[in-house]
Amino acid sequence: MKENNTPMLQVQHLTKHFPAGSHKLVHAVDDVSFSIERGKTLGLVGESGCGKSSCARTVIRIYEPTSGKIFLDGADISALTQKQLLPFRRKMQMIFQDPYASLNARMTVHDIVAEPLRAHNICATRQEEHEMVREMLERVGLNQEHANRYAHEFSGGQRQRVGIARALILRPELVICDEPISALDVSIQAQVVNMLRHFQEELNLTYLFIAHDLSMVRYVSDDVGVMYLGQLVEKCAADEIYAHPLHPYTVGLLSSIPVPNPRLAKEKDGSGLEGDLPSPIDPPSGCRFHTRCPFATERCREEAPAWQEAAPGHFVACHRING
Amino acid sequence: MEPVLQVKDLKTSFLTSSGEVQAVRGVSFSVNKGESVGIVGESGSGKSVTSLSVMQLLTGTGKIVGGSVKLNGRELVGIGTKEMRSIRGKEVAMIFQDPMTSLNPLLPVGEQVSEMLWAHEKDLSRADREARVAELFRMVRIPEAEKRLKSYPHEFSGGMRQRVMIAMALACKPDLLIADEPTTALDVSIQDQILKLMRSIQREIGMSIMFITHDLGVVAELCNRVIVMYGGLIMEQADILDLFEHPCHPYTMGLLASIPDINQDKQKRLQPIMGSPPDMIHPPKGCPFSPRCPYACRVCLEELPPIYTAGEGHVSRCWLLDADAPAADNPLSYAKGGKRG
Amino acid sequence: MNEQNRWERVSGDAGEAERIYRRSRTFLGDVWFRFTHKPTALFGFILVVLLLAFCLIGPVFTPYTYSEQNNKLASIPPLLKVYPGPAEGSNLYITQGLKLIEVDDEGHLIRQLKKKKDDSKAKQTSFTWDDDTLVYLDYSRLPNTVLDRDGNRIETAKTVWNRTYLLGTDQLGRDILTRLMYGTRISLMVAFIAALVNMIIGITYGGIAGYLGGRTDSVMMRIVDIISTIPLTLYVILIKMCLDDGLLSIIIALSSVYWVDMARVVRGEVLSLKNQEFVLAAKTIGSSTKTILFSHLIPNAMGPILVTVTMLIPSAIFMEAFMSFIGIGIAPPMASLGTMCNDATETLRTNPYQLFLPALVICIIMFAFNFVGDGLRDALDPKLKK
Repeated sequence: MKENNTPMLQVQHLTKHFPAGSHKLVHAVDDVSFSIERGKTLGLVGESGCGKSSCARTVIRIYEPTSGKIFLDGADISALTQKQLLPFRRKMQMIFQDPYASLNARMTVHDIVAEPLRAHNICATRQEEHEMVREMLERVGLNQEHANRYAHEFSGGQRQRVGIARALILRPELVICDEPISALDVSIQAQVVNMLRHFQEELNLTYLFIAHDLSMVRYVSDDVGVMYLGQLVEKCAADEIYAHPLHPYTVGLLSSIPVPNPRLAKEKDGSGLEGDLPSPIDPPSGCRFHTRCPFATERCREEAPAWQEAAPGHFVACHRING
Repeated sequence: MEPVLQVKDLKTSFLTSSGEVQAVRGVSFSVNKGESVGIVGESGSGKSVTSLSVMQLLTGTGKIVGGSVKLNGRELVGIGTKEMRSIRGKEVAMIFQDPMTSLNPLLPVGEQVSEMLWAHEKDLSRADREARVAELFRMVRIPEAEKRLKSYPHEFSGGMRQRVMIAMALACKPDLLIADEPTTALDVSIQDQILKLMRSIQREIGMSIMFITHDLGVVAELCNRVIVMYGGLIMEQADILDLFEHPCHPYTMGLLASIPDINQDKQKRLQPIMGSPPDMIHPPKGCPFSPRCPYACRVCLEELPPIYTAGEGHVSRCWLLDADAPAADNPLSYAKGGKRG
Repeated sequence: MNEQNRWERVSGDAGEAERIYRRSRTFLGDVWFRFTHKPTALFGFILVVLLLAFCLIGPVFTPYTYSEQNNKLASIPPLLKVYPGPAEGSNLYITQGLKLIEVDDEGHLIRQLKKKKDDSKAKQTSFTWDDDTLVYLDYSRLPNTVLDRDGNRIETAKTVWNRTYLLGTDQLGRDILTRLMYGTRISLMVAFIAALVNMIIGITYGGIAGYLGGRTDSVMMRIVDIISTIPLTLYVILIKMCLDDGLLSIIIALSSVYWVDMARVVRGEVLSLKNQEFVLAAKTIGSSTKTILFSHLIPNAMGPILVTVTMLIPSAIFMEAFMSFIGIGIAPPMASLGTMCNDATETLRTNPYQLFLPALVICIIMFAFNFVGDGLRDALDPKLKK
């Protein structure tokens, strides 16, 4: 393993707008910057529609970025053509949200897991391919008997493990996990999270972990970024965000998590977030959160807050925090 | 006092090309007046099929093959379609996971709720109905209720649609509300709002709720009593506090251990339940959880455990509660020796 | 298990908890299983097989050809109303042209009797049976009949099945059964070739339009719109003028027009599939466009594609029949179900079976393919299996 200090992934002022009919734009991702060190995990959290999935898909170049730069291991990949990207695809892989939609129902598990090998012409012989797929499947707890079956015969957790096997068989360095656990049962979520942590330690993987709530993210992330309407509103070390959340949105998200303790749950009331996410086609002026923020002032409505370092390593964009 | 809903030994099966899927294999429980009961289980545990069986809404090849479902003392198994239609909505209402598919996209939402009222209370005038719908919309905290009556479903967000569904379900003041994973498709922030809403509505009008979910955290927020289902059977049934503080089934323990706790130390790993849920075409011979259970004994693989009483209103289907079960390394030894019931 | 080891701890077997008990089948095996377990689909499939056997193997067993004419035996129906003849075991059949044909008891046509003399006053015709016997046909009033030895009208006729021409003959004396075989052959050939060509063009065209999207898609679909606005009949007439071959011009015309439906279906499917996560996954993997199109998109669109094809087959068959019916299709003497129908319309009142039989075959073909298409659609969708 080479020792260097270049971040595995560096994203600078990434912006992605989608056209939405008559000269309107969906501001899916707006000026987002972050970087992830090698072997670390950044958790990206926000409600559906906040742009976290668009961000992930732009980083892996399924979507073309509107502007901004993406550096993978120091190399700028934001302007490469799909053909030029091919060698970089081996370095970054993606795990998808829906274990049902992310596996082709017409292919056997073996073919699904072997697809990356075939795309990059890695195996010279069938035998070699077979061996690699078998080994990878074993690592995610599936055996040869499973390999010849079709995805629809599996349970959700098993399918997601097939998705993990497909992403990891190329031995990538960066894995983008796009809500890999949201569609799973609670007991299975823990399985998948533990498996991802295990592989991270073993293969020194770097994760960009997308989730819609903060509860599971804690178990995988070193840093956590909170997104709201296409923008990062807070980013800091994982433990810090649970201990000292600064942005009112982060506070609201944290208090929305169901408390698995009936004694505490009955007392809890009043906190949490009010209202719905505004439309990303016409985001609110000033601080985009002001429509739902309990502390909103005139200033929040007019002036967008700056991205500032409130404490060492703790960044936040909110007018209530001064320096 | 007679319970609102009494289910006895309910068995429901689906016929598929691969064989008979025994989705529910003999489930008995009751829901009392004003109570909110949570049914917890993984996908495939039979929790949704149980609720659909109660509503007589099984589709395709699904069939109730045995048992009885009594609503307010009236037997629902084998009841006529027409009669059931008059009960549905009036005595028992249901809300579903996906509020978009449950609403007609071509009709204004106010109209749809009003239609529900009209179906059951023909003597209400149009104006009366409209007033009632507006009142219902205020009750489910839809902002600017009067204005939104004329809106179409696509103009609403997921959370707002679910509120409309709840308003529709409450229209005829049913005795029992069945909520089938109503928050699973929503964001945590919206889930939180909906749970608060349901809690306050229940306090206000005191109806019974049967809440189906896969998340014990959600149950902790809302329910008085919990039923844990696995492999088409009830594994454990207890008061909410009892279940969280003295779980008497390894499956419940596993579920509790796999919930992330934001107050916990990060370095501690989650304790997942290994393996996958059983295929109900070939349910395990013994306890359905035995292949995944860390405490499984030989007997667990061979024989279906009986139901043991572990305390006041607390029953569990686990061999470890048997008086003969070994004490060593037995997580349930504190509750052991309960009556077989 | 005995009392001693009853409580013996068995470690949770991870393999057991992961096992899938459902019988594993290949995708095609699965489709076949579900297809054959649907009675209508199986029935349709058997019908198609029988039709194929009928039109491919059938001509081997028939002594006639589709063009062999026998004017003496024109318009003989499959069911013969016969009167007893002078000899034991012989019967007489009166044709519409008031001629007598000797038929044996089993229904074989033996010969046509020679006309001796026509007495137009008594409305009787005499025919030579053999050197010294005459048979008289009485057409003084309906029904026409034969006179017995004493000169009385024989009013009682019996019905025998025509064993020489099982389904009778047309007005030119050609065997209808044989012509049906050749007609079906033409119909199926037109249908299969049209379906194959349409599938190839439609899938490629629609797949490319849907996958590339954007401006390419708009341009390609406008071309499709233009093609589909020109009436099919016009194509056939134009092409026939150049080619002078009815069958080929119909095939070319159908192939050049019908694929637009297929292209639209494929494009729609591809458009909705290409944003599915498994396609995005293939992109992040770095799979080539060819792989994405042909191993992800098209196989998943196969359900609607096959349904479109099986709906297209009866429509192509009908189109061919229609073209031949209005006279711009298959050239005589080649038999086509359409030309057979057309020929039969002239004598519809007297010989309804000549129209009924080819029409029935068209119906059977349509039914068979519709059933198969329906069954295939259900069988191809693994999401329905739960």
